[in-house]
Amino acid sequence: MDIVFIFEWLDASWLSELARTSAGVFSMVQAVHILSMIMLCGMLILGDLRMLNVVLTGVPSDVIIQNTKKWIYIGLVGIILSGIYEASAIAMKLATNSFFWAKMAGLAMGIVFLLSVRSAVYSRAPEVIGSNGPQSDAVEAWVVKLVALANLFIWFSVAANGRWIGFS
Amino acid sequence: MLNELLFQFATWLDGFQSSTNLHEALYAYGWVEGTHVLTLTLFLGMLLVIDLRLLGVAFKELPASTLIERLDKPMMIGFVIMLISGALLFYAIPVRSTQSIWFRVKVVFIIAAGINALLIRNMTRASDMSWDNDPVPPKRIRVGAAMSLGLWILVVASGRNMAYDWWDCHKEMPHFMYWAAGCVNELAAFE
Repeated sequence: MDIVFIFEWLDASWLSELARTSAGVFSMVQAVHILSMIMLCGMLILGDLRMLNVVLTGVPSDVIIQNTKKWIYIGLVGIILSGIYEASAIAMKLATNSFFWAKMAGLAMGIVFLLSVRSAVYSRAPEVIGSNGPQSDAVEAWVVKLVALANLFIWFSVAANGRWIGFS
Repeated sequence: MLNELLFQFATWLDGFQSSTNLHEALYAYGWVEGTHVLTLTLFLGMLLVIDLRLLGVAFKELPASTLIERLDKPMMIGFVIMLISGALLFYAIPVRSTQSIWFRVKVVFIIAAGINALLIRNMTRASDMSWDNDPVPPKRIRVGAAMSLGLWILVVASGRNMAYDWWDCHKEMPHFMYWAAGCVNELAAFE
């Protein structure tokens, strides 16, 4: 399916006009994008490193995961909204940019993975990892660690591809 | 005087072939800058967790000292990598960085954030962490945490603005801005 019309629409929108003409606002939105990434990735890293038993070992993992949830969602909303604004300034260039599509694919995968697999597996972390007490439906420890590594890899690729858009 | 010294230092660095090579490298510069931005997520991500706890808005079930002590290591790993990659970025473009008002503002905010971190550490030690398990720490600690977040937001924003040439030395600016940016050649033209 050809979705270039979405980029053409964005390119002709008032948002694009604003993004192109207000360099000061654009730079502030770029800062918001980075700060949202820090919030999102920082919270994900904390949860994943906890599940890998690298940080906060012994602290119940459900406390960590529960506390990070809200900030992950705020960070996600922040990067998506600021990202749309940034994209509107160079919409037609992005339509054919490989790194942009790699980032979008990673972002979509990351969100689905976060809301489905990561969430389901972390809530069933065995006592040896989660320190949440015995659970009847606990998954194997290696599954939890594999999910943590996969999540870190997906979000690292999103951030790295995003950085490379600027160089391409 | 300081502007001249900084300019001489930057010009000296600029004379190294490796500085030019790094700046003009097709991939190396991108990798260094990418590393610099990505390690922000580790360093500032962990700092955010600690500051949110000290503000009393998240991780309230956990003792503040647990987060401070046990997130210190990953946070410092991120900081060191960020510092090294930042130094390499400066080395690749020393003259423009030295004469960037945003770079100078960024350094001032980093120093202020460092002083603020020391003050928070002293305050927590002086209070003997008697509030360690309180969901909401004392007001002075919360103010320190808010200052920390605010200063690091300004560091990130000013770092981002370094990419823009609004106040580069070749632009028409008031005398004060030439001085603040360290535009020694332009300042000499005034005299």
